[in-house]
Amino acid sequence: MTKKMIFLSLAASATLFAQSDLAQLKAQLAKQIHATQALQKRVEELEKKQIETVANTNKTTQAPSATFDQKSFLPDIALILDGSAVGRNIDNSTYETYHIPGFSEYDPNEESEIPFNRNRGFNFNYAELALHSTVGPYFDADAIFHLSPDEFEIEEAYITSRTFPYGLRAKIGKFRSEFGRINAIHQHAWKFTSKPLVYEALLGGEGINDAGVQLQWVLPTDTYMMAGLEALQGSNDVSFGDTEKNNLYIGYLKGSMDITDTTILLAGTSIAHGKNEDGHDTNLYGTDLTIKTALDSYSNLLWQSELLYRDKKTENGTEKQAGYYTQLVYQYDQNWKTGIRYDSLFKNISDQPDDLDRYTAMVEYKPFEFTKFRLQYTYDRSKAFGSNDERKNLSEILLGFTVETGAHGAHAF
Amino acid sequence: MKKTFSIFILLSAMAFAQFNVVASYPYLGKIVQAVGGDNVKVKVLASPKFDPHFIIPKPSLIPAIARADMLVANGAGLEIGWLPPLLKSANNPKVRIGTEGFVDASHAIALIDKPTAVSRAYGDVHPEGNPHFDTDPHNIIPIAKYLTQKLSRLDAAHKAAYQHNLSQFISRWHAFLNTFDRQMKACKGKQVIQYHELYNYLLKRYDIHAVATIEPLPGIAPSSKHTLALIQKMQKEKIKTILQDPYHEKKTARFIASKTGAKVVVIPHDVGSINDTETLEALYETIAKRLCH
Repeated sequence: MTKKMIFLSLAASATLFAQSDLAQLKAQLAKQIHATQALQKRVEELEKKQIETVANTNKTTQAPSATFDQKSFLPDIALILDGSAVGRNIDNSTYETYHIPGFSEYDPNEESEIPFNRNRGFNFNYAELALHSTVGPYFDADAIFHLSPDEFEIEEAYITSRTFPYGLRAKIGKFRSEFGRINAIHQHAWKFTSKPLVYEALLGGEGINDAGVQLQWVLPTDTYMMAGLEALQGSNDVSFGDTEKNNLYIGYLKGSMDITDTTILLAGTSIAHGKNEDGHDTNLYGTDLTIKTALDSYSNLLWQSELLYRDKKTENGTEKQAGYYTQLVYQYDQNWKTGIRYDSLFKNISDQPDDLDRYTAMVEYKPFEFTKFRLQYTYDRSKAFGSNDERKNLSEILLGFTVETGAHGAHAF
Repeated sequence: MKKTFSIFILLSAMAFAQFNVVASYPYLGKIVQAVGGDNVKVKVLASPKFDPHFIIPKPSLIPAIARADMLVANGAGLEIGWLPPLLKSANNPKVRIGTEGFVDASHAIALIDKPTAVSRAYGDVHPEGNPHFDTDPHNIIPIAKYLTQKLSRLDAAHKAAYQHNLSQFISRWHAFLNTFDRQMKACKGKQVIQYHELYNYLLKRYDIHAVATIEPLPGIAPSSKHTLALIQKMQKEKIKTILQDPYHEKKTARFIASKTGAKVVVIPHDVGSINDTETLEALYETIAKRLCH
């Protein structure tokens, strides 16, 4: 607007030049400049006013929509895809018979349940569809559908309270328990492509993912403390599995503090009490520790460890088994990350090996926040194959990709 | 059990004494403190030393949110990567998104750079518009007014005090803006490049031309191809100033500077992001000094 005025006045002065003498022109020009300045001032004032009006009135200008149009109520929809190429020193038919001595058994009559990266060669692991929506003033709803090439699975589907007082929140439905540090975390957010060995040994490929209710409480303290209670059906048949009635009860306490401005400590302790498939008591205890140091906005060092201990009653007495993992992940910048992990099952039942362990190393490249390529090497000394329990060391190299697209919420710490 | 109860009562009594406000970024904390005065207790979540898009969602931030009566966010998508999981974990219905206690400062601003087409193919775009309006000090008063309005409604007992603080703040800020505008006039028409579209509000107001960015697309790290094209452009158009934020790597900017003879100027984006920017005035004084000298 102002610019146009200046141009016009210049043009006007140009025509004037031809006709009049210099003094007259100068006077004219001064007048024009004065007028332009006045205009500029007015424009500035108007602009200021406009900004103030925006501040004072809530925005009311909305595009008119069709009658009964419900588009704005559509849930957030995210799609997560995951696949890999795998090289392994063991062929596919042998690999399918793998089990962990003392923890799991090979049953030739049952199809093996290997959730991810089963094949030497190419694997398409899953397409996951995640929906999130607010139901009303009182509840939010979430559903995660896990679609693998020959299976449709409701991974999670639950509602969460929005308005409970005193720092309380309830969850109802089918969901991943927040037992331990990583049970609730989905595969696409894991730091390594494979699940920690102790989780696989004690809770199987699925972890504790069950129907039930959860209540969490943020304690009114200056230091972050959260206590949670869950009552679940108990359908995880690796450690529990007696579902004659709801049998699984879980409790945990998690706390976090900043050691320095940039160093964060998170620790937790969990217990799960339920009944195993034979109807006897099983207790699972977990303790975890995470320390993260931010080096700058895009670089950090993360150390995470977790120990699980299981006390399982049987006909003939008590089976005590335990294992842990410890991992160190270094994020170099926005694009690159690398990490190592050591897994060990150091306590086993009598006459079963207690030297089961695994080494994992990975390099991750993220060209964009929601696109991930990961190269992972695994050396695994925890597996036996076939019905004669032949132990073999497994070497595996894996190149995987994971993308998150659509409206996917940010991950918690 | 009794103990827990007495702790509860004690805590609620403490909570009554002051109105608890949580602000996502330091500059918002300063504005709330200015209009809230002694009646509010302000806690800032993000450290100014970090990229405002990439704040670590530390669990230690949850207790403050859990106790907050009001939460002030920058909005326009700036906190999308870190605030929602904290809000969810805090279980505080008072400051849930969509309630009166959740205050989005961007609602007080006419946002610029609103993309006409939204796709992640264009990088980390903000569909709402450019969220970095705090680099222009003229946006402080509209935010202060908006926050006062919200404070007065949520804590009606102290309405008069908030209005009084606001009018004092406005006159203080008008005086500051007079000086600031004068300083900024010196660099009208200047041509600059910036790392990210972080200073657009400021540059636009003072007729400084932001010609290009060091990152090829928002949120994408610099590529050699883009950097070389940028060097050629700067040589051709004789652009001599590179505006660098305090938190990104400075290697690329220095490399470009060495090839073009341009000067790398680190411009703070928030209160406390570099030394001697501990107040709002000091922040903008540093910006003016570094940009226009």
